[in-house]
Amino acid sequence: MLDLLAAPARDGHKTLVAVGDVPSEESAREGLFSFLSRRRFLKVSLVAGGAVLGVGGGGLLALRGRAPKVDGLRALDAHEYRTLQSLVEVMLPRTEAVPVDAASMDLPRAFDHFLADEPEQNIRDLRKALVLIEFGPLAFDKKLTTFSRLDVADRTAHWNEWALSDNLLRRQVSAAMRKFLNLVYFDHEQVWPHIGYPGPSLKRTSGVWP
Amino acid sequence: MNSGITDLSKQAPPETITAEVCIIGSGCGGATAARLLAEAGHDVVVLEEGRDLVGVERTQRDGPMYDQLYMDRGGRASHDLSVSVMQGRVLGGGGVINSCDVVPIPEGVLHHWATKYGLEDFAPEQFKRFEDDALRDLSASRIPESMVNAANNKLRQGAEGLGLRGEVMMHNRVGCRGLGTCLIGCPVHAKRNPRMVALPKAIEAGARIFTRTRAVRIEKANQELKEVTVRTLDPGGYHEQAELRVRAKVVVVAANAIASAQLLLRSGVGNSHVGHNLTLQPQLPIIGIFDQRVAAFDGIPQSYAVTEFEEEDNAEFGLWGYRIEGQMATPGLVSTLLPFSGAPAMERMTQYDRMAPSLLLVPDAPSGQVEVARDGRLTILYEQREDHRKRLRHAVETAAKVYLEAGAHEVLVPTMPPLIIRSAHEAQQARELTFAPVTAPLISAHQQGTVRFAASERDGGADLNGQVYGTRDIYVFDSSGYPTSASSHTMAPIISSSRMLTTKLLTRI
Repeated sequence: MLDLLAAPARDGHKTLVAVGDVPSEESAREGLFSFLSRRRFLKVSLVAGGAVLGVGGGGLLALRGRAPKVDGLRALDAHEYRTLQSLVEVMLPRTEAVPVDAASMDLPRAFDHFLADEPEQNIRDLRKALVLIEFGPLAFDKKLTTFSRLDVADRTAHWNEWALSDNLLRRQVSAAMRKFLNLVYFDHEQVWPHIGYPGPSLKRTSGVWP
Repeated sequence: MNSGITDLSKQAPPETITAEVCIIGSGCGGATAARLLAEAGHDVVVLEEGRDLVGVERTQRDGPMYDQLYMDRGGRASHDLSVSVMQGRVLGGGGVINSCDVVPIPEGVLHHWATKYGLEDFAPEQFKRFEDDALRDLSASRIPESMVNAANNKLRQGAEGLGLRGEVMMHNRVGCRGLGTCLIGCPVHAKRNPRMVALPKAIEAGARIFTRTRAVRIEKANQELKEVTVRTLDPGGYHEQAELRVRAKVVVVAANAIASAQLLLRSGVGNSHVGHNLTLQPQLPIIGIFDQRVAAFDGIPQSYAVTEFEEEDNAEFGLWGYRIEGQMATPGLVSTLLPFSGAPAMERMTQYDRMAPSLLLVPDAPSGQVEVARDGRLTILYEQREDHRKRLRHAVETAAKVYLEAGAHEVLVPTMPPLIIRSAHEAQQARELTFAPVTAPLISAHQQGTVRFAASERDGGADLNGQVYGTRDIYVFDSSGYPTSASSHTMAPIISSSRMLTTKLLTRI
């Protein structure tokens, strides 16, 4: 289980080597995704892993199945991309109130590009979080399925539990995902007419002071 | 290299830069020191990790602006993600990304510092001239009545209806066009901040400013000539590129309470107080939802404060109690603060133009800590104390009543699970809020402490001149030195105290 949760190294990524005895700031930033310290993550993973150890690594891989190939990713792999797609579907659904399809914005790719410029530690942690989300139904609900395979209603119900969970790590992951995905989605001009926002004031022809 | 601003992401840096004074950080503390020192004829170099982002490059868009104007791309947070730590990373520092709130250090706090901590220079009668100069730097004035927007007027209307004390705030805007996006930079430069006042004057007097430069270590801390290891960044500010050294007799650290302590700790400089006594002043947003359009995003976002419950002379902590201030942000940021996902989140955001939000500003005890691990990783250790939670609950209850009094049909407290208040009676539910970690979007905009000023090395990390104990001519001139919360907003306090400390430094160099 732990091996499976450990995200593989990204192909082609250049790790910045610290100069002299000064640690690189790349590993020193306290960012949005740096809360998943390796030690803390592993501790929680062990707890979560207890529920699924019986299945075994091979079984888990089979459960996850194949993910469609995605070109041009810089930080994520296809499985992680699919998990994010599944997450966006439930976090930012097209509704009558806001009939804007988040899929048209390709938020998982935006996330991938954002992540690619994060410190290596944050990339690793966040990828682990995505694996945890994918296996969340198994780890936390003891359902023999994965996040992306749940139908939208079940996935929505499952994801809503993360924000309200007694488990701090699940709340942290939920908050971090909301912070990034919501910020990008609601910063999009297609959304603004539906929320009464006329857009950046400098570009408006009226509505702000002369 | 000549005076002016040099972006070292765009050119090969020299191996070494030599100056008389090296200032780390270009915000309120650093810019003020740079100006005064350069004007006095000293050879000054300023290092700034951010870039010089000006004019229409400030696009008023959430994504690129939080990415470029804030530390860690807007994602900095306390160790368990409970408190979002907003810290500027741009030439001009926090003054570029604040809401222009000019709130000097209250007299009660100055008395408290002078008597309890022995900070004689902060005694009101000593400190006043520096504060006066700072207010002149800022072109500080009371916000005109005509510029208080609809959302802030809702707050005022409710407060006045309940008989609560409040005030229209002071600001440092000149030529404001009410664009409403102060938190992500003013594209028309209406803020009279360090970027527009102190830095141009410093450059005029010969100061050299290097952007996209990150100071990672100070060496030879006890020798006459200090050596600062600096890494240049790529144009986006994401990755380190090259390394150079800055050699200077005097080093002034003014990179914010978090980054200043981080640098000293990474350098192994200073005593055991360094990194301790951090205050974050965690704030909580609360939102009055009205039936009619409020358009809080237009005009000055923060102009009215309810000050009824603010205490300026608490015997133990000085600034205490809480205040409530109107505030608004762009849709992206607001959406991240709401405790909803899926269809309910969409539904809530359709109320965006009917929202009148406030921040509940609750000062805290100096109980946090900045820690740097062996691998260089920064951790902001912070546990919310019960005394903070207690005042926050009271503030929620008060703010809810204020908005209901002003005609809000409901008040949204963005805790997880959300608390919706529709009557004064229901406001009492705020007393049950637990504020367990990561169940409320707490925000820190005014980090202070970490290198506390003290008359004795036993009691703090820097002396009354701001000199870091155990060093020769390494100083902290930002909010790191404050023993407790200086004020509900730190721009005017930092400029004032940097003026005072720089004036003292000028008598010695």
